[in-house]
Amino acid sequence: MVRFENVGMRYGLGPEILRDVSFTLEPGSFHLLTGPSGAGKTSLLKLIYLAERPSRGAIWMFDREIAATPREELPPLRRRIGVVFQDFRLLDHLTVFDNVALPRRVMGEFEGDYRAEVEELLSWVGLGNRLNAKPATLSGGEKQRVAIARAVVAKPELLLADEPTGNVDPEIGARIMRLFIELNRLGTSVLIATHDQRIMERVPAMRIFKLTEGRLTSANANEIAIAGAKRA
Amino acid sequence: MNPAAPSGLMPADSASGATLHTIVAVMSFLACLTLGAVLTLSRLASEWTEGLSGSVTVQLLPSPQISPEDQLNEALRLVRQWPGIFSAKALSRGEASKLLEPWLGEGNVLDDLPVPQLIEVTLTPGQPVELAGLGRALADGVPGAQLDDHQRWNQELASFAASSEAVGWAVLALIAVATLAIVIYATQAGLQAHREIVEVVHMIGARDVFIATEFQRHFLWLGLRGGLIGLTLAAITLLGSSFFWDSREAPVGAQYLPQLVTSPFHYIWLLFVPAAIAGIAMATARMTVLRVLGRMP
Ligand SMILES: Nc1ncnc2c1ncn2[C@@H]1O[C@H](COP(=O)(O)OP(=O)(O)OP(=O)(O)O)[C@@H](O)[C@H]1O
Ligand SMILES: [Mg+2]
Repeated sequence: MVRFENVGMRYGLGPEILRDVSFTLEPGSFHLLTGPSGAGKTSLLKLIYLAERPSRGAIWMFDREIAATPREELPPLRRRIGVVFQDFRLLDHLTVFDNVALPRRVMGEFEGDYRAEVEELLSWVGLGNRLNAKPATLSGGEKQRVAIARAVVAKPELLLADEPTGNVDPEIGARIMRLFIELNRLGTSVLIATHDQRIMERVPAMRIFKLTEGRLTSANANEIAIAGAKRA
Repeated sequence: MNPAAPSGLMPADSASGATLHTIVAVMSFLACLTLGAVLTLSRLASEWTEGLSGSVTVQLLPSPQISPEDQLNEALRLVRQWPGIFSAKALSRGEASKLLEPWLGEGNVLDDLPVPQLIEVTLTPGQPVELAGLGRALADGVPGAQLDDHQRWNQELASFAASSEAVGWAVLALIAVATLAIVIYATQAGLQAHREIVEVVHMIGARDVFIATEFQRHFLWLGLRGGLIGLTLAAITLLGSSFFWDSREAPVGAQYLPQLVTSPFHYIWLLFVPAAIAGIAMATARMTVLRVLGRMP
Protein backbone atom coordinates (compact mmCIF):
# COMPACT_ATOMS: atom_id res chain seq x y z
CA MET A 1 0.00 0.00 0.00
CA VAL A 2 2.82 2.41 0.97
CA ARG A 3 6.46 1.66 0.38
CA PHE A 4 9.43 3.96 1.00
CA GLU A 5 12.86 3.06 -0.29
CA ASN A 6 15.88 5.03 0.92
CA VAL A 7 13.86 8.22 1.00
CA GLY A 8 15.60 11.46 1.88
CA MET A 9 13.92 14.78 2.26
CA ARG A 10 14.90 18.40 2.79
CA TYR A 11 12.99 21.68 2.75
CA GLY A 12 14.44 23.85 0.01
CA LEU A 13 18.18 24.02 0.47
CA GLY A 14 17.97 23.25 4.19
CA PRO A 15 19.47 20.25 5.94
CA GLU A 16 18.18 16.77 5.28
CA ILE A 17 15.23 16.18 7.63
CA LEU A 18 14.74 12.53 6.69
CA ARG A 19 17.56 10.17 5.79
CA ASP A 20 17.44 6.73 4.21
CA VAL A 21 13.91 6.05 5.33
CA SER A 22 12.63 2.66 4.21
CA PHE A 23 9.45 0.96 5.37
CA THR A 24 6.29 -0.68 4.14
CA LEU A 25 2.67 -0.28 5.22
CA GLU A 26 0.54 -3.29 4.37
CA PRO A 27 -3.19 -3.00 3.75
CA GLY A 28 -5.12 -3.31 6.98
CA SER A 29 -2.10 -2.61 9.19
CA PHE A 30 -1.94 -0.36 12.25
CA HIS A 31 1.25 1.56 12.96
CA LEU A 32 2.46 4.19 15.34
CA LEU A 33 5.14 6.73 14.53
CA THR A 34 6.99 8.20 17.48
CA GLY A 35 10.06 10.28 18.03
CA PRO A 36 11.09 13.49 19.71
CA SER A 37 9.68 16.82 18.63
CA GLY A 38 11.34 18.01 15.45
CA ALA A 39 12.40 14.50 14.48
CA GLY A 40 10.46 14.71 11.22
CA LYS A 41 7.21 12.87 11.94
CA THR A 42 5.01 15.49 10.28
CA SER A 43 7.44 15.68 7.36
CA LEU A 44 7.21 11.94 6.85
CA LEU A 45 3.41 12.10 6.85
CA LYS A 46 3.55 14.96 4.31
CA LEU A 47 5.46 12.70 1.97
CA ILE A 48 2.79 10.04 2.35
CA TYR A 49 -0.13 12.36 1.73
CA LEU A 50 1.72 13.79 -1.26
CA ALA A 51 2.13 17.33 0.02
CA GLU A 52 5.92 17.24 -0.34
CA ARG A 53 8.29 15.54 -2.74
CA PRO A 54 11.25 13.49 -1.55
CA SER A 55 14.68 14.81 -2.46
CA ARG A 56 15.86 11.27 -3.10
CA GLY A 57 14.70 7.69 -2.91
CA ALA A 58 11.45 6.21 -4.21
CA ILE A 59 7.91 6.19 -2.85
CA TRP A 60 5.16 3.80 -3.94
CA MET A 61 1.59 4.67 -3.08
CA PHE A 62 -1.15 2.19 -3.98
CA ASP A 63 1.31 0.50 -6.35
CA ARG A 64 2.17 3.72 -8.17
CA GLU A 65 5.69 5.09 -8.12
CA ILE A 66 5.02 8.72 -7.26
CA ALA A 67 7.91 10.34 -9.13
CA ALA A 68 6.73 8.60 -12.30
CA THR A 69 3.06 9.51 -11.80
CA PRO A 70 1.78 12.54 -13.74
CA ARG A 71 0.63 15.37 -11.51
CA GLU A 72 -2.98 15.17 -12.65
CA GLU A 73 -3.21 11.55 -11.50
CA LEU A 74 -2.30 12.43 -7.92
CA PRO A 75 -5.71 13.79 -6.73
CA PRO A 76 -7.42 10.39 -7.02
CA LEU A 77 -4.59 8.93 -4.91
CA ARG A 78 -5.00 11.68 -2.28
CA ARG A 79 -8.70 10.88 -2.02
CA ARG A 80 -7.83 7.39 -0.85
CA ILE A 81 -5.97 8.90 2.12
CA GLY A 82 -7.58 10.63 5.11
CA VAL A 83 -5.40 13.05 7.05
CA VAL A 84 -5.80 14.53 10.53
CA PHE A 85 -3.41 17.48 10.43
CA GLN A 86 -1.45 18.36 13.54
CA ASP A 87 -2.80 21.93 13.30
CA PHE A 88 -6.22 20.71 12.11
CA ARG A 89 -6.37 23.03 9.08
CA LEU A 90 -10.11 23.57 9.26
CA LEU A 91 -11.55 26.27 6.99
CA ASP A 92 -12.67 29.05 9.29
CA HIS A 93 -15.46 30.42 7.11
CA LEU A 94 -17.19 27.07 6.72
CA THR A 95 -19.44 25.49 9.33
CA VAL A 96 -18.47 22.30 11.12
CA PHE A 97 -20.82 20.42 8.81
CA ASP A 98 -19.32 21.93 5.64
CA ASN A 99 -15.77 21.31 6.86
CA VAL A 100 -16.46 17.65 7.43
CA ALA A 101 -18.36 17.35 4.15
CA LEU A 102 -15.53 18.94 2.16
CA PRO A 103 -13.84 15.70 0.98
CA ARG A 104 -17.16 14.40 -0.30
CA ARG A 105 -17.86 17.63 -2.13
CA VAL A 106 -14.41 17.59 -3.67
CA MET A 107 -15.25 14.13 -5.01
CA GLY A 108 -18.23 15.65 -6.79
CA GLU A 109 -20.94 14.33 -4.47
CA PHE A 110 -24.03 16.36 -3.64
CA GLU A 111 -25.29 17.21 -0.19
CA GLY A 112 -28.07 14.65 -0.42
CA ASP A 113 -25.46 11.91 -0.84
CA TYR A 114 -23.57 12.61 2.35
CA ARG A 115 -25.79 14.69 4.65
CA ALA A 116 -26.95 11.80 6.86
CA GLU A 117 -23.48 10.24 7.09
CA VAL A 118 -21.82 13.50 8.06
CA GLU A 119 -24.42 14.16 10.73
CA GLU A 120 -24.08 10.67 12.12
CA LEU A 121 -20.31 10.90 12.18
CA LEU A 122 -20.44 14.26 13.96
CA SER A 123 -22.78 13.00 16.63
CA TRP A 124 -20.49 10.01 17.04
CA VAL A 125 -17.57 12.33 17.91
CA GLY A 126 -19.89 14.26 20.25
CA LEU A 127 -20.50 17.28 18.04
CA GLY A 128 -24.02 16.48 16.90
CA ASN A 129 -25.28 19.78 18.27
CA ARG A 130 -22.53 21.93 16.76
CA LEU A 131 -23.20 21.29 13.07
CA ASN A 132 -23.54 24.96 12.22
CA ALA A 133 -20.81 26.31 14.46
CA LYS A 134 -17.77 27.96 12.92
CA PRO A 135 -14.38 26.46 13.89
CA ALA A 136 -13.34 29.69 15.61
CA THR A 137 -16.00 29.09 18.26
CA LEU A 138 -14.79 25.57 19.07
CA SER A 139 -12.35 24.43 21.76
CA GLY A 140 -9.08 22.80 20.72
CA GLY A 141 -10.44 19.33 21.44
CA GLU A 142 -13.62 20.02 19.48
CA LYS A 143 -11.59 21.22 16.49
CA GLN A 144 -9.57 18.06 16.72
CA ARG A 145 -12.69 15.94 16.56
CA VAL A 146 -13.94 17.90 13.53
CA ALA A 147 -10.57 17.29 11.87
CA ILE A 148 -10.86 13.58 12.62
CA ALA A 149 -14.40 13.44 11.24
CA ARG A 150 -13.23 15.14 8.05
CA ALA A 151 -10.39 12.65 7.70
CA VAL A 152 -12.62 9.60 7.87
CA VAL A 153 -15.78 10.87 6.17
CA ALA A 154 -14.76 9.56 2.74
CA LYS A 155 -13.84 6.10 4.10
CA PRO A 156 -10.17 6.31 3.18
CA GLU A 157 -8.06 3.21 2.62
CA LEU A 158 -5.25 4.82 4.57
CA LEU A 159 -5.71 7.08 7.58
CA LEU A 160 -2.87 9.33 8.71
CA ALA A 161 -3.23 11.12 12.03
CA ASP A 162 -0.71 13.62 13.39
CA GLU A 163 -1.02 13.85 17.18
CA PRO A 164 -4.76 13.13 17.09
CA THR A 165 -5.08 12.95 20.86
CA GLY A 166 -2.91 15.92 21.66
CA ASN A 167 -5.70 18.25 22.72
CA VAL A 168 -8.32 15.99 24.22
CA ASP A 169 -8.97 14.58 27.64
CA PRO A 170 -8.23 10.87 28.26
CA GLU A 171 -11.84 9.87 27.83
CA ILE A 172 -12.21 11.47 24.39
CA GLY A 173 -8.73 10.26 23.53
CA ALA A 174 -9.77 6.70 24.28
CA ARG A 175 -12.88 7.18 22.21
CA ILE A 176 -10.88 8.48 19.26
CA MET A 177 -8.57 5.51 19.52
CA ARG A 178 -11.57 3.17 19.55
CA LEU A 179 -12.75 4.86 16.34
CA PHE A 180 -9.37 4.31 14.71
CA ILE A 181 -9.25 0.68 15.84
CA GLU A 182 -12.78 0.15 14.54
CA LEU A 183 -11.87 1.68 11.17
CA ASN A 184 -8.80 -0.53 11.09
CA ARG A 185 -10.97 -3.60 11.69
CA LEU A 186 -13.10 -2.54 8.75
CA GLY A 187 -9.98 -2.56 6.56
CA THR A 188 -8.44 0.89 6.77
CA SER A 189 -4.70 1.05 7.29
CA VAL A 190 -3.82 3.45 10.08
CA LEU A 191 -0.64 5.37 10.81
CA ILE A 192 -0.62 7.62 13.87
CA ALA A 193 2.20 9.99 14.75
CA THR A 194 2.16 10.56 18.48
CA HIS A 195 4.03 11.18 21.69
CA ASP A 196 1.13 9.93 23.72
CA GLN A 197 2.35 7.04 25.89
CA ARG A 198 -1.22 5.99 26.65
CA ILE A 199 -1.88 5.35 22.97
CA MET A 200 1.19 3.17 22.70
CA GLU A 201 -0.01 1.03 25.56
CA ARG A 202 -3.52 0.74 24.24
CA VAL A 203 -2.95 -0.09 20.61
CA PRO A 204 -2.59 -3.58 19.23
CA ALA A 205 0.03 -2.21 16.90
CA MET A 206 2.23 -4.77 15.34
CA ARG A 207 4.90 -2.21 14.88
CA ILE A 208 6.02 1.11 16.20
CA PHE A 209 8.19 3.26 13.97
CA LYS A 210 10.60 5.50 15.78
CA LEU A 211 12.18 8.53 14.15
CA THR A 212 15.40 9.86 15.60
CA GLU A 213 17.42 12.52 13.81
CA GLY A 214 15.73 11.72 10.52
CA ARG A 215 16.35 7.96 10.66
CA LEU A 216 13.58 5.43 11.03
CA THR A 217 13.85 2.38 13.21
CA SER A 218 11.10 0.01 14.09
CA ALA A 219 10.44 -1.75 17.34
CA ASN A 220 7.52 -3.56 18.83
CA ALA A 221 5.27 -2.14 21.47
CA ASN A 222 6.79 -4.05 24.34
CA GLU A 223 10.29 -2.71 23.80
CA ILE A 224 9.04 0.87 23.73
CA ALA A 225 6.97 0.33 26.86
CA ILE A 226 9.98 -1.13 28.62
CA ALA A 227 12.19 1.71 27.46
CA GLY A 228 9.59 4.19 28.69
CA ALA A 229 9.37 2.43 32.02
CA LYS A 230 13.15 2.50 32.43
CA ARG A 231 13.28 6.25 31.69
CA ALA A 232 10.51 6.97 34.18
CA MET B 1 -28.71 27.62 8.05
CA ASN B 2 -27.64 24.61 6.01
CA PRO B 3 -28.95 25.84 2.70
CA ALA B 4 -29.97 23.22 0.21
CA ALA B 5 -27.16 24.25 -2.13
CA PRO B 6 -23.77 23.94 -0.44
CA SER B 7 -22.18 27.27 0.28
CA GLY B 8 -19.24 28.25 -1.88
CA LEU B 9 -15.76 27.30 -0.84
CA MET B 10 -14.92 30.97 -0.69
CA PRO B 11 -15.90 33.21 2.22
CA ALA B 12 -18.89 35.26 1.07
CA ASP B 13 -17.91 38.34 3.02
CA SER B 14 -14.56 39.25 4.38
CA ALA B 15 -12.66 42.41 5.11
CA SER B 16 -10.55 41.90 2.01
CA GLY B 17 -13.77 41.35 0.05
CA ALA B 18 -15.14 44.76 1.04
CA THR B 19 -11.87 46.46 0.11
CA LEU B 20 -11.81 44.64 -3.20
CA HIS B 21 -15.38 45.68 -3.99
CA THR B 22 -14.55 49.30 -3.25
CA ILE B 23 -11.42 49.31 -5.40
CA VAL B 24 -13.18 47.62 -8.29
CA ALA B 25 -16.19 49.94 -8.03
CA VAL B 26 -14.02 53.08 -8.05
CA MET B 27 -12.00 51.93 -11.06
CA SER B 28 -15.20 51.00 -12.87
CA PHE B 29 -16.68 54.42 -12.07
CA LEU B 30 -13.64 56.24 -13.47
CA ALA B 31 -13.49 54.05 -16.55
CA CYS B 32 -17.24 54.54 -17.23
CA LEU B 33 -17.01 58.34 -16.87
CA THR B 34 -14.02 58.54 -19.19
CA LEU B 35 -15.59 56.20 -21.71
CA GLY B 36 -18.81 58.26 -21.64
CA ALA B 37 -16.87 61.46 -22.25
CA VAL B 38 -14.78 59.96 -25.02
CA LEU B 39 -17.82 58.54 -26.81
CA THR B 40 -19.54 61.92 -26.70
CA LEU B 41 -16.49 63.78 -27.93
CA SER B 42 -16.03 61.29 -30.71
CA ARG B 43 -19.65 61.72 -31.84
CA LEU B 44 -19.47 65.52 -31.67
CA ALA B 45 -16.18 65.62 -33.51
CA SER B 46 -17.54 63.62 -36.39
CA GLU B 47 -20.78 65.61 -36.52
CA TRP B 48 -19.00 68.91 -36.49
CA THR B 49 -16.44 67.76 -39.00
CA GLU B 50 -19.14 66.71 -41.43
CA GLY B 51 -21.02 69.97 -40.84
CA LEU B 52 -24.08 68.00 -39.81
CA SER B 53 -24.87 70.35 -37.01
CA GLY B 54 -28.47 70.34 -38.08
CA SER B 55 -29.08 73.86 -39.23
CA VAL B 56 -27.80 76.67 -41.42
CA THR B 57 -28.94 80.27 -41.79
CA VAL B 58 -29.77 82.35 -44.84
CA GLN B 59 -29.22 86.09 -44.47
CA LEU B 60 -31.07 88.45 -46.74
CA LEU B 61 -29.39 91.85 -46.99
CA PRO B 62 -31.52 94.68 -48.30
CA SER B 63 -30.92 94.99 -52.05
CA PRO B 64 -32.04 97.74 -54.47
CA GLN B 65 -32.61 95.10 -57.16
CA ILE B 66 -35.46 93.33 -55.40
CA SER B 67 -38.22 94.08 -52.96
CA PRO B 68 -37.88 92.51 -49.48
CA GLU B 69 -41.05 90.42 -49.99
CA ASP B 70 -39.91 88.98 -53.33
CA GLN B 71 -36.44 88.41 -51.92
CA LEU B 72 -37.84 86.37 -48.98
CA ASN B 73 -40.27 84.36 -51.11
CA GLU B 74 -37.68 83.60 -53.77
CA ALA B 75 -35.11 82.50 -51.18
CA LEU B 76 -37.63 80.29 -49.31
CA ARG B 77 -38.72 78.67 -52.58
CA LEU B 78 -35.11 77.95 -53.58
CA VAL B 79 -34.15 76.55 -50.21
CA ARG B 80 -37.24 74.39 -49.75
CA GLN B 81 -36.82 72.57 -53.07
CA TRP B 82 -33.15 71.81 -52.34
CA PRO B 83 -32.49 68.11 -51.59
CA GLY B 84 -31.86 67.28 -47.93
CA ILE B 85 -33.59 70.32 -46.49
CA PHE B 86 -36.07 69.46 -43.77
CA SER B 87 -37.66 72.85 -43.27
CA ALA B 88 -37.04 76.54 -43.81
CA LYS B 89 -38.65 79.25 -41.76
CA ALA B 90 -38.36 83.00 -41.95
CA LEU B 91 -37.65 84.58 -38.60
CA SER B 92 -40.10 87.35 -37.81
CA ARG B 93 -38.80 90.69 -36.65
CA GLY B 94 -39.99 89.83 -33.17
CA GLU B 95 -38.00 86.59 -33.10
CA ALA B 96 -34.96 88.32 -34.53
CA SER B 97 -35.07 91.02 -31.90
CA LYS B 98 -35.43 88.38 -29.19
CA LEU B 99 -32.30 86.67 -30.49
CA LEU B 100 -30.42 89.94 -30.44
CA GLU B 101 -31.81 91.17 -27.14
CA PRO B 102 -28.83 90.02 -25.05
CA TRP B 103 -26.55 92.13 -27.21
CA LEU B 104 -28.71 95.12 -28.14
CA GLY B 105 -31.03 95.35 -25.18
CA GLU B 106 -34.80 95.66 -25.16
CA GLY B 107 -36.66 98.16 -27.25
CA ASN B 108 -37.51 98.75 -30.85
CA VAL B 109 -33.92 98.92 -31.92
CA LEU B 110 -34.48 96.74 -34.95
CA ASP B 111 -37.02 99.10 -36.37
CA ASP B 112 -34.29 101.69 -36.75
CA LEU B 113 -31.56 99.36 -37.97
CA PRO B 114 -31.12 97.75 -41.38
CA VAL B 115 -30.98 94.31 -39.83
CA PRO B 116 -30.93 91.49 -42.37
CA GLN B 117 -33.93 89.22 -42.69
CA LEU B 118 -32.99 85.70 -41.48
CA ILE B 119 -34.20 82.30 -42.64
CA GLU B 120 -33.58 79.37 -40.34
CA VAL B 121 -32.99 76.23 -42.35
CA THR B 122 -33.16 72.82 -40.70
CA LEU B 123 -31.38 69.95 -42.43
CA THR B 124 -32.83 66.47 -42.66
CA PRO B 125 -30.89 64.48 -40.07
CA GLY B 126 -28.51 61.89 -41.41
CA GLN B 127 -28.77 63.06 -45.03
CA PRO B 128 -25.85 64.71 -46.80
CA VAL B 129 -26.65 68.15 -48.18
CA GLU B 130 -24.79 69.93 -50.94
CA LEU B 131 -24.44 73.13 -48.96
CA ALA B 132 -21.82 74.72 -51.21
CA GLY B 133 -24.16 74.30 -54.18
CA LEU B 134 -27.04 75.78 -52.23
CA GLY B 135 -24.88 78.76 -51.33
CA ARG B 136 -23.98 79.39 -54.97
CA ALA B 137 -27.59 78.96 -56.11
CA LEU B 138 -28.75 81.49 -53.53
CA ALA B 139 -26.04 84.00 -54.39
CA ASP B 140 -26.81 83.67 -58.10
CA GLY B 141 -30.60 83.48 -57.87
CA VAL B 142 -31.54 85.92 -55.13
CA PRO B 143 -29.85 89.31 -54.90
CA GLY B 144 -28.54 90.01 -51.39
CA ALA B 145 -28.91 86.39 -50.19
CA GLN B 146 -26.06 84.73 -48.36
CA LEU B 147 -25.80 81.26 -46.90
CA ASP B 148 -24.08 80.98 -43.54
CA ASP B 149 -23.31 77.31 -42.94
CA HIS B 150 -21.57 78.04 -39.65
CA GLN B 151 -18.51 76.53 -41.30
CA ARG B 152 -15.92 78.51 -39.38
CA TRP B 153 -17.58 77.86 -36.05
CA ASN B 154 -18.01 74.20 -36.89
CA GLN B 155 -14.40 73.80 -37.94
CA GLU B 156 -13.15 75.29 -34.72
CA LEU B 157 -15.48 73.12 -32.69
CA ALA B 158 -14.49 70.09 -34.70
CA SER B 159 -10.78 70.56 -34.17
CA PHE B 160 -11.38 71.27 -30.49
CA ALA B 161 -13.47 68.13 -30.19
CA ALA B 162 -10.94 66.08 -32.11
CA SER B 163 -8.06 67.11 -29.88
CA SER B 164 -10.17 66.60 -26.75
CA GLU B 165 -11.13 63.23 -28.08
CA ALA B 166 -7.48 62.28 -28.53
CA VAL B 167 -6.75 63.35 -24.96
CA GLY B 168 -9.82 61.41 -23.84
CA TRP B 169 -8.64 58.22 -25.51
CA ALA B 170 -5.23 58.63 -23.90
CA VAL B 171 -6.84 59.09 -20.47
CA LEU B 172 -9.10 56.11 -21.14
CA ALA B 173 -6.08 54.00 -22.08
CA LEU B 174 -4.31 55.04 -18.87
CA ILE B 175 -7.37 54.26 -16.78
CA ALA B 176 -7.73 50.91 -18.53
CA VAL B 177 -4.12 50.03 -17.77
CA ALA B 178 -4.48 51.21 -14.15
CA THR B 179 -7.74 49.27 -13.79
CA LEU B 180 -6.13 46.18 -15.21
CA ALA B 181 -3.15 46.47 -12.86
CA ILE B 182 -5.28 47.21 -9.81
CA VAL B 183 -7.80 44.46 -10.52
CA ILE B 184 -4.98 41.96 -11.05
CA TYR B 185 -3.18 43.12 -7.93
CA ALA B 186 -6.35 43.11 -5.82
CA THR B 187 -7.34 39.68 -7.09
CA GLN B 188 -3.93 38.29 -6.24
CA ALA B 189 -4.03 39.90 -2.80
CA GLY B 190 -7.48 38.39 -2.28
CA LEU B 191 -6.15 35.01 -3.27
CA GLN B 192 -3.21 35.33 -0.91
CA ALA B 193 -5.73 35.74 1.91
CA HIS B 194 -7.35 32.50 0.78
CA ARG B 195 -4.18 30.51 0.30
CA GLU B 196 -5.06 28.22 3.20
CA ILE B 197 -8.26 27.25 1.38
CA VAL B 198 -6.31 26.41 -1.77
CA GLU B 199 -3.82 24.28 0.15
CA VAL B 200 -6.33 22.37 2.26
CA VAL B 201 -8.68 21.65 -0.61
CA HIS B 202 -5.70 20.58 -2.71
CA MET B 203 -4.47 18.14 -0.05
CA ILE B 204 -7.94 16.70 0.38
CA GLY B 205 -7.70 15.59 -3.24
CA ALA B 206 -9.39 18.30 -5.27
CA ARG B 207 -8.32 18.66 -8.86
CA ASP B 208 -6.78 21.96 -9.94
CA VAL B 209 -9.71 22.83 -12.18
CA PHE B 210 -12.16 22.26 -9.31
CA ILE B 211 -10.31 24.78 -7.16
CA ALA B 212 -9.74 27.19 -10.04
CA THR B 213 -13.45 27.07 -10.93
CA GLU B 214 -14.48 27.90 -7.35
CA PHE B 215 -12.12 30.85 -7.25
CA GLN B 216 -12.86 32.21 -10.68
CA ARG B 217 -16.59 32.11 -9.97
CA HIS B 218 -16.03 34.03 -6.76
CA PHE B 219 -13.95 36.68 -8.47
CA LEU B 220 -16.25 36.88 -11.49
CA TRP B 221 -19.11 37.85 -9.19
CA LEU B 222 -16.91 40.17 -7.19
CA GLY B 223 -15.77 41.94 -10.38
CA LEU B 224 -19.30 42.07 -11.74
CA ARG B 225 -20.78 43.50 -8.53
CA GLY B 226 -18.03 46.08 -8.10
CA GLY B 227 -18.14 46.96 -11.79
CA LEU B 228 -21.92 47.43 -11.80
CA ILE B 229 -21.78 49.61 -8.68
CA GLY B 230 -19.23 51.80 -10.47
CA LEU B 231 -21.33 51.86 -13.63
CA THR B 232 -24.45 52.84 -11.68
CA LEU B 233 -22.65 55.69 -9.95
CA ALA B 234 -21.22 56.83 -13.28
CA ALA B 235 -24.64 56.69 -14.95
CA ILE B 236 -26.13 58.76 -12.13
CA THR B 237 -23.34 61.28 -12.53
CA LEU B 238 -23.77 61.51 -16.30
CA LEU B 239 -27.56 61.72 -16.14
CA GLY B 240 -27.35 64.22 -13.31
CA SER B 241 -25.04 66.41 -15.33
CA SER B 242 -27.41 66.46 -18.31
CA PHE B 243 -30.37 67.30 -16.06
CA PHE B 244 -28.32 70.08 -14.57
CA TRP B 245 -27.59 71.45 -18.02
CA ASP B 246 -31.24 71.26 -18.98
CA SER B 247 -32.42 73.00 -15.86
CA ARG B 248 -32.88 76.69 -15.30
CA GLU B 249 -30.13 76.96 -12.71
CA ALA B 250 -27.58 76.05 -15.35
CA PRO B 251 -25.30 78.86 -16.40
CA VAL B 252 -26.36 80.95 -19.43
CA GLY B 253 -25.52 79.15 -22.62
CA ALA B 254 -25.10 75.78 -20.94
CA GLN B 255 -27.98 74.42 -22.98
CA TYR B 256 -25.81 74.76 -26.08
CA LEU B 257 -23.16 72.48 -24.55
CA PRO B 258 -23.31 68.86 -25.54
CA GLN B 259 -24.78 66.47 -23.02
CA LEU B 260 -22.23 63.97 -21.88
CA VAL B 261 -24.27 60.96 -22.84
CA THR B 262 -27.16 61.56 -25.14
CA SER B 263 -28.30 58.22 -26.42
CA PRO B 264 -29.19 54.92 -24.74
CA PHE B 265 -26.71 53.42 -27.18
CA HIS B 266 -23.96 55.00 -25.11
CA TYR B 267 -25.09 53.16 -22.01
CA ILE B 268 -24.76 49.89 -23.85
CA TRP B 269 -21.10 50.69 -24.47
CA LEU B 270 -20.69 51.54 -20.78
CA LEU B 271 -21.95 48.04 -19.87
CA PHE B 272 -18.77 46.82 -21.49
CA VAL B 273 -16.75 48.24 -18.55
CA PRO B 274 -18.08 46.01 -15.71
CA ALA B 275 -18.10 43.05 -18.08
CA ALA B 276 -14.44 43.62 -18.91
CA ILE B 277 -13.53 44.13 -15.25
CA ALA B 278 -15.32 40.93 -14.24
CA GLY B 279 -13.59 39.08 -17.06
CA ILE B 280 -10.18 40.37 -16.00
CA ALA B 281 -10.78 39.47 -12.35
CA MET B 282 -11.94 36.01 -13.33
CA ALA B 283 -9.02 35.32 -15.66
CA THR B 284 -6.53 36.64 -13.10
CA ALA B 285 -7.99 34.46 -10.37
CA ARG B 286 -7.86 31.42 -12.58
CA MET B 287 -4.29 31.97 -13.72
CA THR B 288 -3.06 32.83 -10.23
CA VAL B 289 -4.70 29.79 -8.61
CA LEU B 290 -3.38 27.48 -11.29
CA ARG B 291 0.10 28.94 -10.89
CA VAL B 292 0.01 28.55 -7.09
CA LEU B 293 -1.28 25.00 -7.45
CA GLY B 294 1.34 24.22 -10.08
CA ARG B 295 4.03 24.80 -7.48
CA MET B 296 2.47 22.19 -5.19
CA PRO B 297 3.24 18.52 -5.80
N1 LIG C 1 7.93 23.99 5.94
C1 LIG C 1 9.14 23.82 6.50
N2 LIG C 1 10.20 24.48 6.01
C2 LIG C 1 11.44 24.31 6.54
N3 LIG C 1 11.69 23.50 7.57
C3 LIG C 1 10.68 22.79 8.10
C4 LIG C 1 9.35 22.93 7.60
N4 LIG C 1 8.54 22.11 8.32
C5 LIG C 1 9.33 21.51 9.24
N5 LIG C 1 10.60 21.92 9.11
C6 LIG C 1 11.72 21.43 9.90
O1 LIG C 1 11.81 20.05 9.75
C7 LIG C 1 12.12 19.42 10.97
C8 LIG C 1 11.11 18.34 11.27
O2 LIG C 1 9.86 18.93 11.45
P1 LIG C 1 8.54 18.10 11.66
O3 LIG C 1 7.40 19.03 11.71
O4 LIG C 1 8.49 17.03 10.65
O5 LIG C 1 8.80 17.46 13.10
P2 LIG C 1 7.84 16.62 14.01
O6 LIG C 1 8.53 15.34 14.28
O7 LIG C 1 6.49 16.53 13.41
O8 LIG C 1 7.79 17.48 15.34
P3 LIG C 1 6.56 17.65 16.38
O9 LIG C 1 6.54 16.41 17.22
O10 LIG C 1 6.96 18.83 17.19
O11 LIG C 1 5.34 17.86 15.60
C9 LIG C 1 12.16 20.49 12.03
O12 LIG C 1 13.51 20.78 12.30
C10 LIG C 1 11.48 21.67 11.38
O13 LIG C 1 12.11 22.85 11.79
MG1 LIG D 1 4.68 17.24 13.87
